[in-house]
Amino acid sequence: MTNLFVRKATGLVRSWSVFDAFVYALFSINLITLGLYSFSQMYYFGGGLIPALIVSALFIFFEVVVYAALIAVMPRSGGDYVWQSRILGGAVGFILAVTGWWFILWLWVPLYGDMFRHIVLVPLLGVLGARDAALWFAGTQNGAFTASMLTLMIVSIFIALGMRTYARIQKFSFYGGMLGLLLVIMLLLTGSPDAFRAGLERNAVELFGAQPGVYEATAALGSNAGAALPFVGGGLGLIFLTLPYLVFFNLWPNWGATLYGEVRGATDFKRNILGMGSALAVTTLLGILLLYAISKTIGWDFYVQAGGAWWNHVWGLTEDAPALPVWPYPALFASFLTTNRLLQFLVLALMSLWWFGWSGTVFLSSTRVIFAAAFDRLLPEKVAEVDERTGTPIYALLMMVLPSVVVAYLFSYNIASFQSLTLCSTLVIAVTYLGTTIAAILLPYRKPDLYKASPIAKYNVFGIPLITVAGLIFGGFLVFLLYEWILDPNALYGIGYSINEAGYKNGTSIIYMLANYALAALIYFGSRAARRREGIDLDKVHAEIPVE
Amino acid sequence: MTKLFFATDIHGSDICWSKFLNAGKFYGADVLLLGGDMTGKAVVPFIHQGGKNYRVTLLEQVFEISTDDELQDMIKRVRSRGYYPYLTNPDEIAELEKSPERVSQIFAQEVLKVVQQWMELADKKLDGTDMKVYCCPGNDDMEEVDALVRSSRRVVLAEGQVTPLDGVHEMIASGWSNRTPWDTHREEDEDQLALRYEAMICQLRDPRNAIFNIHVPPFRSSLDEAPELDKDLRPKMAGQALKPVGSTALRKAIEQTQPLLGLHGHIHEGRGATRIGKTLCINPGSMYEQGTLLGAIVNLGKNKIENYVLTTG
Repeated sequence: MTNLFVRKATGLVRSWSVFDAFVYALFSINLITLGLYSFSQMYYFGGGLIPALIVSALFIFFEVVVYAALIAVMPRSGGDYVWQSRILGGAVGFILAVTGWWFILWLWVPLYGDMFRHIVLVPLLGVLGARDAALWFAGTQNGAFTASMLTLMIVSIFIALGMRTYARIQKFSFYGGMLGLLLVIMLLLTGSPDAFRAGLERNAVELFGAQPGVYEATAALGSNAGAALPFVGGGLGLIFLTLPYLVFFNLWPNWGATLYGEVRGATDFKRNILGMGSALAVTTLLGILLLYAISKTIGWDFYVQAGGAWWNHVWGLTEDAPALPVWPYPALFASFLTTNRLLQFLVLALMSLWWFGWSGTVFLSSTRVIFAAAFDRLLPEKVAEVDERTGTPIYALLMMVLPSVVVAYLFSYNIASFQSLTLCSTLVIAVTYLGTTIAAILLPYRKPDLYKASPIAKYNVFGIPLITVAGLIFGGFLVFLLYEWILDPNALYGIGYSINEAGYKNGTSIIYMLANYALAALIYFGSRAARRREGIDLDKVHAEIPVE
Repeated sequence: MTKLFFATDIHGSDICWSKFLNAGKFYGADVLLLGGDMTGKAVVPFIHQGGKNYRVTLLEQVFEISTDDELQDMIKRVRSRGYYPYLTNPDEIAELEKSPERVSQIFAQEVLKVVQQWMELADKKLDGTDMKVYCCPGNDDMEEVDALVRSSRRVVLAEGQVTPLDGVHEMIASGWSNRTPWDTHREEDEDQLALRYEAMICQLRDPRNAIFNIHVPPFRSSLDEAPELDKDLRPKMAGQALKPVGSTALRKAIEQTQPLLGLHGHIHEGRGATRIGKTLCINPGSMYEQGTLLGAIVNLGKNKIENYVLTTG
């Protein structure tokens, strides 16, 4: 029986494809870039990686529910900035949005650059026979900085091409990247430890100039570095302590959230959960499968030891250079299982699409936040200007690129121990998510009319709104992460002010993060004062007009 | 200096209309302008189940109503999203499913009833004030809406007119848009739009100080970025792929005339401000379903915009 009559009116579209939403969410929690990068850094943890992946996914599922619910209540509103502004006030909304979606992305640029060199440049240059260039990128600070600059250039091109073109690049990258991953998993599952060891010895020497005996030497260096990460097991406490590092990889399924939908309802809520949730589930399962394939042929101990050998040196914890002079990239290892150079190149080129399909996200969200702040007159109108010929938001792009160059320089040359700030990139965004989660928890109580007329009004758990319950669980998880990162009682993460006497008290990290928040507050309160002198009361910009 | 408040695309939301009428006092504006698409997009049947019982499906959730209070609360809830509640019974619903013409009649009846109520509310609220209020229905609004707006004592229909806002600034207004995939009430080809604009522009005394209150945004202005749709009206790439859908005729008119200000709507996702030459163009966007009135406050000076800001009320 008919439930609703709609007429022909602008904007009434059919539901978007859940599969497309899945693709973008899957790229946001990118197993190959973020996943493999963080797994290799976690060599010293005691909690099993497989159970940690599962436990983290369980908590992050509640993040999916929170964001899908907020989108259902306030679709097409622009995300965190508007949600927080509406429920928690303009100052909180602005400060958390610009720090989490703009400023901290400056720090992500050298991280994207680092992954670019390890996943794209070094393997492809190596297999193409450009050994010196590969080693220059892999092992020098100039190489790292150049990779960051190339990243900036590529991402700027993506911005200039626009979202429509980049969405197509992502779709192409999805299919190509998946084919590459399938080939990697097949190579690993059909290979043997002996074949891998022989392949490593042969290719590491030929392609990257490693000394014979690279396998044994790497294993020894890794053991000395304290490589301990188990495949499974480790106990619940140790597994939980692994999570604050692991979420560098999988805290982001909401980046693929789709904000559209009108005159529909619960279906779109479920579709968003399905899109983001399936991406989370599939990525977790693919991660488990890939790690299993790694453990079968590369050997779990060797994989963890290779990560330890590499990062122990990069982080300056040892003078001993890694015997394998390139980052231990499992896809590169898998390619060593074949002697066919063309197949090696094909596998590595397809796997590089995981980076290309993901990298544009670093600036796309930032550009939106910069524009929104300019429209609210918190930034000069000029920053929202778009070049008419190329369609490029030149000033917004410069506000991303110029600070990123400075941060990339500090990171690449490890000035003031800047490389120790890696996890800050996650912490600051987690604070923004916490703001949004608090807004979600309060929504049914702060905006009851809005909530009651929304598609999620009937979803309750023991009489408590689902959005509140999901928010409390995810919010609790975020508070746990922030406690571990900032107070670091077990001396594991190195980005806070550890209350453990043996822990690291990272002044650079604390100053850097506080500077981000101070800059955001300065812009907000400075702009508010300046606009007030012009006769614009910014407090009223976000205030609700009385209805009666 | 004149301070104007502009909002658009409120699509039948009672809350947004009330907020619009209160915006002048709230923001200290002298003039209120409402862009096109005043009317809603959906009728929600309240199906009688006997006695005081009704079954209502809102946003794909079924509500069983059994008291007068619950009925009034649900009517308010449906209206808050800009939809029209329609009390009916299972027999009529079965007939309506076979008769699209009858559904259209019900739509027209409900739409016009609400517009009539809105005009009455405006007359009541604005009596005794010197607030000027102008409306310009958009491509989603049926033509019968114009007559109801004209009948208001306090709301002025601006469609197709050159309207002086003060001693310096004149406004041209039109809710007609270029072609859409939905074949709506007021849409036409670009060459016809160009003629429509020219007929007003040629009457302007001082085009450089004019305001173009044109529902559709100019083409490729970033205010006209909408999700790209496939042939089944399904957003491509999960809505991630956007494309410009504004009017090329309007863009040309703005480039040639260089008015002081362009006020637009139509694309709810296209919230923003941009410059085309010297012209400031604004699309405040729309969040009518959430009862949030998105708008823009603009302080008009002679030959310049003194300042402006987008609002979320």
